[in-house]
Amino acid sequence: MDQLLQHLVNTLILGGTYALLGIGLTLIFGIMNVVNFTHGALYTMGAYLMYLAVTALGLGFFLALPAAILGGLVLGAAIEFVLLRPLRGSDIDTTMLVMIGAGIVLQSGTLWVFGGVAKSVPTPFPDAPLHLGPVSVSWLRLFVLGAALALIGLTYGLINRTRLGLAMRATFQDHDTAALMGVNVRLIYTATFAIGSSLAAAAGALLGPVYVVFPQMGGLAELKAFAIVILGGLGNITGAAIGGFILALAEELGAGYISSGYRDAMGFLIIIAVLAFRPTGLFARAERIG
Amino acid sequence: MRKPTLFPATMPSLTLGLGLGVGLALALASGPAGAETGPIRIGVNEPLTGPFAASGTYVVNGAKIAADEINAQGGVLGRRIELVIEDNKSNPTEAAAVAEKLITSDKTPVMMGAWGSSLTLAVMPKLADYETPMLVETSSSGKITTSGNPYVFRISPPSALEAEAFAPMVEKIGLKKVDFIVINNDWGRGAAADFAKMLKDKGVAIGLVETMDQGAQDMSAQLAKLKGSDADTIMITSAVDQLTLLFKQMSALGLKKRVITTGGSQNPDQIIAQAGGAADGTLHLTTFLPWYPEKTPNPKATAYFIEEWKKRGFQFAGVTESFRGYDGIRTIAQAIAKAGSTDAARIKAAFWSVDFTGLNGQIRFAKSGPAGRESGQSKPEIYLIRIDGGRVVMPEL
Amino acid sequence: MTRLLSPALLPPALLPLALLAGLALLPLGLAANPYLLNALITTGILTIGAMSLNLLLGFTGQLSLGHIAFFGIGAYVSALTSLGFDVEIGFGVRVVHEPWPAAFGFLLGVAAAGLCGWLIGRLSFRVRGAYFVIVTISFAEVVRLVALNWVELTQGPLALTGIPALGLGLPGLGSWTLRTKVQNYYLVLAVGTLCYLLIARLVGSRFGRAMRGLKENESLALSVGINATRTLTVAAVISAAMAGAAGSLYAHYLRIIDPDVFLFATTVTMVIMVVGGGKGTLMGPVVGGLVFGLLPVALRPVMAPEAQWIVYGLVLIAILFVMPRGLVPGLAGLIRPRRAAGAPPRPAGDHAGAHAGAHAGAHAGAHPGAHAGARPVEVRS
Repeated sequence: MDQLLQHLVNTLILGGTYALLGIGLTLIFGIMNVVNFTHGALYTMGAYLMYLAVTALGLGFFLALPAAILGGLVLGAAIEFVLLRPLRGSDIDTTMLVMIGAGIVLQSGTLWVFGGVAKSVPTPFPDAPLHLGPVSVSWLRLFVLGAALALIGLTYGLINRTRLGLAMRATFQDHDTAALMGVNVRLIYTATFAIGSSLAAAAGALLGPVYVVFPQMGGLAELKAFAIVILGGLGNITGAAIGGFILALAEELGAGYISSGYRDAMGFLIIIAVLAFRPTGLFARAERIG
Repeated sequence: MRKPTLFPATMPSLTLGLGLGVGLALALASGPAGAETGPIRIGVNEPLTGPFAASGTYVVNGAKIAADEINAQGGVLGRRIELVIEDNKSNPTEAAAVAEKLITSDKTPVMMGAWGSSLTLAVMPKLADYETPMLVETSSSGKITTSGNPYVFRISPPSALEAEAFAPMVEKIGLKKVDFIVINNDWGRGAAADFAKMLKDKGVAIGLVETMDQGAQDMSAQLAKLKGSDADTIMITSAVDQLTLLFKQMSALGLKKRVITTGGSQNPDQIIAQAGGAADGTLHLTTFLPWYPEKTPNPKATAYFIEEWKKRGFQFAGVTESFRGYDGIRTIAQAIAKAGSTDAARIKAAFWSVDFTGLNGQIRFAKSGPAGRESGQSKPEIYLIRIDGGRVVMPEL
Repeated sequence: MTRLLSPALLPPALLPLALLAGLALLPLGLAANPYLLNALITTGILTIGAMSLNLLLGFTGQLSLGHIAFFGIGAYVSALTSLGFDVEIGFGVRVVHEPWPAAFGFLLGVAAAGLCGWLIGRLSFRVRGAYFVIVTISFAEVVRLVALNWVELTQGPLALTGIPALGLGLPGLGSWTLRTKVQNYYLVLAVGTLCYLLIARLVGSRFGRAMRGLKENESLALSVGINATRTLTVAAVISAAMAGAAGSLYAHYLRIIDPDVFLFATTVTMVIMVVGGGKGTLMGPVVGGLVFGLLPVALRPVMAPEAQWIVYGLVLIAILFVMPRGLVPGLAGLIRPRRAAGAPPRPAGDHAGAHAGAHAGAHAGAHPGAHAGARPVEVRS
């Protein structure tokens, strides 16, 4: 029983960041129809930006976090501007492959600049965990959960409550009509990719201090993000948020009660099962975003 | 009417195809000639990119220190030694290709490599094909020295040897029941099997055997399971990054049991730096004692190596990996000197007469594996250390 | 023969023939350089993988990013058939298999990969686009994790070692084991040529038209009575079986395999070969395979390992920007305008289709049907 409780607490903590990873990816797919293979690299960049901001710039943990997120925003905008904008109108395969190429460049660049030795980000949180009866949880992870939920809430608000969000929703439904109605679709695309990227960077900046920071950290995160997005239905933000928690639960219970070797297989098995029985994802593709 | 148009289209394809074949063949057939007077080339096949990049780079840096030291002292057989360093990208296919390149293209008569066990195993058929010996500096899979490849000479301990060295300490520490959490590869699973076998013989109960994938960052699910077990000790085999994560996550889960790590890749200084207090009280089986040079088998050499390492601006934490590269190249140099030649077959034979004190014990090869095709296995010292208050101490047993 | 020499057929048929001749002559000069021969063999094996991928990606338009699964399944099945195994499959049932000759392993590897292609085809062709991409990636990852964790069968991360080399011949009649590099090189070249001819035949056939119809306009294809799922599934089976053949060659050549054969990076390499060379063309994956397979060999001596990867990524991006259709159609486009000046304009597609027929005719003896059945292949435009 205690073990189950601990698994459930772990699920909650892990699920928050999974959701964050998934939302960024699904947002980009939903609005731009681009499968973003730089998502993992941007996650890694977020973690390294956090590391640099804390250690080299001495910004302090709580200032470094928004700095890293901002860095992801800028980097995402740059990638969109340089690589995706000229390819507008190309088929999904071409953009996907360009993103794969960009992902390779970013990941190898990180290895080149920082070397392969993992870095650790110092945090202001106490080492001793918080004990709640039979379960324990570290303060840092509690903070990460809180920050992830706050960012998810912010994204939600941005899409549903702002003019930019309105334009994004219009573009999601029909970009031609949106353009006719006076929406600057090019700007919306750049904004969307930048926001999606900043969410990936935020996940990296939050999880970098929890784990360690190294150049290959994005690979597994990216595959997990794909699983989450499929689970929730491509382009479905609410679905991705819920998908994040479902994946975390499946992994925890899979490792806890089946076999730890298959822990990382859970996400993929879920994908295959979902596609076999409900090809549009558990929550179907939303007719409208948000 | 169409005739003139034939020309431009056929010529490029003809030239492209035949030109590719003949041109490549001509250009590439003339590889570097195996000079008898130039430097003696030693192949180094290590992971410099991919998941093992950090460790492979450490080993290469250690190897460079040895090569520079040997050259400063006049080289071997009156010739300088030159390391031909190639990246195997942490990938077995690439490791085999690199071995092929080093042997056939760079004409290295002897090599060192290839860090991970699956990398080394992939290289081994090439050694037999080209009858070229290789010194294995890090890999720990038992298979490497038991599969009947007489071109393999290993200075790192296979996990069975490590378990054997640990056996006398079992009762002194007071182990009753042990759970394992190991990296899901040959190294981790091999260690779990060998240690479990030894512990069972000693009457210690074996509980769970959990695995974590290479590159996995979140082990809280496995740890939650271990937390619920009634074992008193957790034995861990993995690389330093995962150990750091495990210690942090164990402390976050309030999992307080005796922890012993194996495998010799722990890098305690990096653990102390990155896991902080979470690593306090953990026990580690290591093959090198850089913290106490005076207690190592060859204090002078250890002090020299550590000083040189620091002088070159490398992180101190790296020495627990890089010393193998240093010892490996010194072993190879001695084999070449004893062979009195750069002929691969004579170097191979000379490995059997290598005998000197390396940084982690006497380097002297014993026969291992099926009769007639034995591999060489040296038996390094193994030490148990504890991390205490951010320092490495040697527990009294 | 006169048909072969007819001007309309000559140029396109010559490129593959000249390339084949060049590749066949290569070992004469390279026997002294086993490293390059080795690089060519592994490149050749990956190129076969790329050709099989092209059947799906180029001719049906389905971007399968899990292609490595079929390659790996071919490798594992082939290796296990020739090594033997003894596993418990649950409920106390044990399956014991004595080692068989490696050639049977090859055939079983091809068959098993084809079967998996059928299964995955049935499952994943219900979805298209990004869903298809992700379901194929997931499949490859699941297979990798099974290979990693089913230790009793696959030795998991301990790797399958001591895989015998492939041999030809029948038991009792004497056999010939392919041990040397040159022998393996010609084996790979032969299998590659066979796959090429098979794809050329297939693409030029009625079935090929159905595939391309689905790619160009699915609803239109459906309305003229093309069975989408059936067509795609057959393409997937053939494609997977070929990838399995490549995997089997890989296992018996390298003589060790571990779950890393399933890594996503290898699929990416194959995709780069196809797209870089020209998807939906017969020669594309071959040219792309040679270029991108040998690029790392060329870069190795001149730059740091991390930089090699960066260049690899940049070259991929550059090709997509400069020659989005790939090298082969891109370069052909540079030559064609001069032709067009003298010859009446013909659809670009004639080339591949015509040369498919010529090729099959040249190699399989006089095959009147091969020609009659040949239809123009759309070079993607």
